[in-house]
Amino acid sequence: MSSLNSMIDVELRNIQKRFQQNVVVKDFSLQVERGEFVSFLGPSGCGKTTTLNMIAGFLEPDEGDLFIKGKRMNGVPPYKRELGMVFQTYSLFPHMTVAENVAYGLKLRKVGRAEIEERVKRVLDLVKLPHVRDRYPKQLSGGQRQRIAIARALVIEPSLLLLDEPLSNLDAKLREELRDELKRLHQEIGVTTIFVTHDQEEALSLSDRIVVLNHGCVEQIGTPTEIYNQPASEFVHTFIGKTNKLSGRVTAVAAGRVTVETDGGLTVEAGEQRQPFVAGQRVHVFIRPEKIRLTDAGRTPNGGSGQLVMASFLGAFTECEVRVGDHLLSVKVQMVDSTLNLNPGQTVGCSWNSDDVLIMPAARDAG
Amino acid sequence: MNRRLSILLLIAPSMAVLLGVFLIPMLLMFLLSLQDEAEQFSLANYLLLVQDPYYLELLWRTIRVSLWTVLCTLLLGFPVAMFMANASGRVRGIVAVLILAPHLISVVIRNFGWVVILGEKGWINETLLWLGLIDKPLRLLYNELGVVIGLTDAFIAYMVLAIATSLYGIDTSLYKAAAILGASRIRTFFSVTLPLSLPGVVAGITLVFSLSMSAFVTPALMGGSSVKVIPVIAYEQIMSTLNWPLGAALAFLLLGSSILLVSLFARLVETKRYKEVFTA
Amino acid sequence: MKKLNWLGIITGLILLAVNLPFVIIIPSSLTAAGYLSFPPQGFSWQWYEKILDRPEFIDSLWFSLQLAFVTAILATLIGTLAAFALSKYQFRGSRVVNALLLSPLTVPTLIIGIAVLMFFTRIGLAGTFTGLLLAHILISIPYVVRLVLTGLSMFDYTLEKAGYMLGARPFRVFWDVTLPLIRPAIVSGMIFSFLTSFDNVTVSLFLISPGTTTLPLAIFNYMQETLDPLVASISTVVILLSLVFIVLLEKVYGLERLFGLTSQSH
Repeated sequence: MSSLNSMIDVELRNIQKRFQQNVVVKDFSLQVERGEFVSFLGPSGCGKTTTLNMIAGFLEPDEGDLFIKGKRMNGVPPYKRELGMVFQTYSLFPHMTVAENVAYGLKLRKVGRAEIEERVKRVLDLVKLPHVRDRYPKQLSGGQRQRIAIARALVIEPSLLLLDEPLSNLDAKLREELRDELKRLHQEIGVTTIFVTHDQEEALSLSDRIVVLNHGCVEQIGTPTEIYNQPASEFVHTFIGKTNKLSGRVTAVAAGRVTVETDGGLTVEAGEQRQPFVAGQRVHVFIRPEKIRLTDAGRTPNGGSGQLVMASFLGAFTECEVRVGDHLLSVKVQMVDSTLNLNPGQTVGCSWNSDDVLIMPAARDAG
Repeated sequence: MNRRLSILLLIAPSMAVLLGVFLIPMLLMFLLSLQDEAEQFSLANYLLLVQDPYYLELLWRTIRVSLWTVLCTLLLGFPVAMFMANASGRVRGIVAVLILAPHLISVVIRNFGWVVILGEKGWINETLLWLGLIDKPLRLLYNELGVVIGLTDAFIAYMVLAIATSLYGIDTSLYKAAAILGASRIRTFFSVTLPLSLPGVVAGITLVFSLSMSAFVTPALMGGSSVKVIPVIAYEQIMSTLNWPLGAALAFLLLGSSILLVSLFARLVETKRYKEVFTA
Repeated sequence: MKKLNWLGIITGLILLAVNLPFVIIIPSSLTAAGYLSFPPQGFSWQWYEKILDRPEFIDSLWFSLQLAFVTAILATLIGTLAAFALSKYQFRGSRVVNALLLSPLTVPTLIIGIAVLMFFTRIGLAGTFTGLLLAHILISIPYVVRLVLTGLSMFDYTLEKAGYMLGARPFRVFWDVTLPLIRPAIVSGMIFSFLTSFDNVTVSLFLISPGTTTLPLAIFNYMQETLDPLVASISTVVILLSLVFIVLLEKVYGLERLFGLTSQSH
């Protein structure tokens, strides 16, 4: 057992947490391997932050066990857990300089002065901000503050790094920059990391694995490509990106292929699905906008033709709405693959690969 | 440490002080006001206060002086508040310090200064006599005028601050909007500034009125023996006449009338429209 | 041509008027005459020398300073603890506790003085230093609570979390992180308590013992008997002393902000 567990840095076993009557985290189990980057992804109130706070030690689970480096951590206060944490609001001590902020954790550990000096310098070099060491947090930009907060968390060489929506307070461009920075840092030092976010792009681009949470329940645990291409539930699929949702009824199931007749009058063929379907079953069909191709009007193998209702040019791509049958399909057109003139009112064809079609059973009470 | 225990330990000292130095004494005073000289339950003290014309005159004088003080602080304080609202941050800060700093020095000393200024041989009378504008000193002290001057000086800062706070909240683009619609500056004042500063004005009036009703030092020092108000008489009943039950009843008469008048005023001002505009 | 700034002129006059009483006291205290006169006649320090001949003023100044000092320390300590409880924990009844802490502001201090006298006479605290001190602490607590609560409302509690994560124990976090950041609020609470106690007349009036009296009360009593330049000289001493604290308050916290908080619910 112990040799097997030696590569597991964090383990959650059936963690449960209630606030008054509400179960906010339900039966959460997870193993995080050494050096792994795992994201908790979900909308606000899904339990991701609560779980992170339990790992950090700010909250105690009502049920279940938490292990870090093989040691049971239930009841251990946060200041004894030896973890690093970066907060959404930076949380740098405003009355300490950058160097004092970074050195604080080392001072508490009674590290010698020369070594503190050396390690602070090294970590500031690592986040590429050696020149701000004597400034106060107020004198830094948001991006710089967050880098310093990361440096402060890393300098104590934590067994685990917790990131609580660290990019949410930054504007779009900085967010992307710091995201790449996080990726580089993780590749360079390989610290086991748990990252909480509500932004699917951040989770997809950074993570080795993603845990998708909703209403306190784990919806799916998987690699970014698994989460994106083989969602375990409608929630995972819709949360991860934009999609077209068509209601219909299964008409045929043969050799792993499912044919659906939609209520709007389209026939959709789908490739192999994660779960079995039977003919006559009510289902929802999902196709992502970027998986739909616009063609000249005419017959298309899997798709249909319709009228272009609206086209918004957004630079790298154009977002279109096409009325096909009774459906209004949203389509994302990459300009490189289309020389089409996109004039509203014109007739266009829509097509897609059957492998890009996802089918989910319709909930019984859903219309 | 246990959460409950922490909370208890944190609030225990303050609650003990509050209980022993405020709540119990207030309750005891109330019980005492309901006793006669033989320590029997009786409403005699309160009946005396509402039946004896001496005490009714006393109450009316206290209210009258307070109302004059409210009027003076309002008329003099409004321009200062407007000036502060229009001023730049630095100037505003200087005005704030100059109007507030005197409040942190004992009112006794402030009143003494006024006695020196307003007295028969004071700076104002001596100057006017010297200029030949008057031939005998004006009586500016030891009457209601003196008390109102003293109280106005003592409480004007509260009025200024209350009004200024509500003026700070007015969106300055409203003034531009009024100007573009063709309103003159005076018109703008009456149709934008004044109505929107009402919450501040109401707060200021309430505050200054309550403070004036219970003022003791200024009436004692600047009103002398001719302007007795309830606080002064209450003090005399307690410390000189030693009629504690009557003193306690006077204290509650003061507290009660002050609260009653303030809430009546609030009723009057807070019309349906006022509530719709100013309460979220 | 520049228009006359009427608001500015009125404001200037009013600022002059509210500060005039203090400005006028100083030259009056330096008169060579034996009575208050305008204009002051001659120049002399005699009325300052006369303070030294009146031990009751020296004693009461010293007594007032001691009382204000102890009041400031204890009121700040007690009020700060309560403010912490209110800000950090959402507990049942916290609104009631908050309202209770501010309730002394709703009753005139004169009435509090009378009530406290009646109770303290029964339990033997009337006329004692402890009794006077307790009453001064009571009237200072609401201000401290309000100031510290405001200070704490702007304090970001995730900073404490950050401290814990870096390995600091609770007391260490309080000392290294929380306290330095709310120090301005606590210090202003302390100075304000000091001045509240040092200036108070209406509570002390009922609770002093015959032998010892506070300075404002000594001046108050003296003024009712005699009006001479001695009051001016002793007042000048008090004005200068108070100014030190006022400047401190303005530097630490800002008077406008302070009054905005302390005048809200009388």
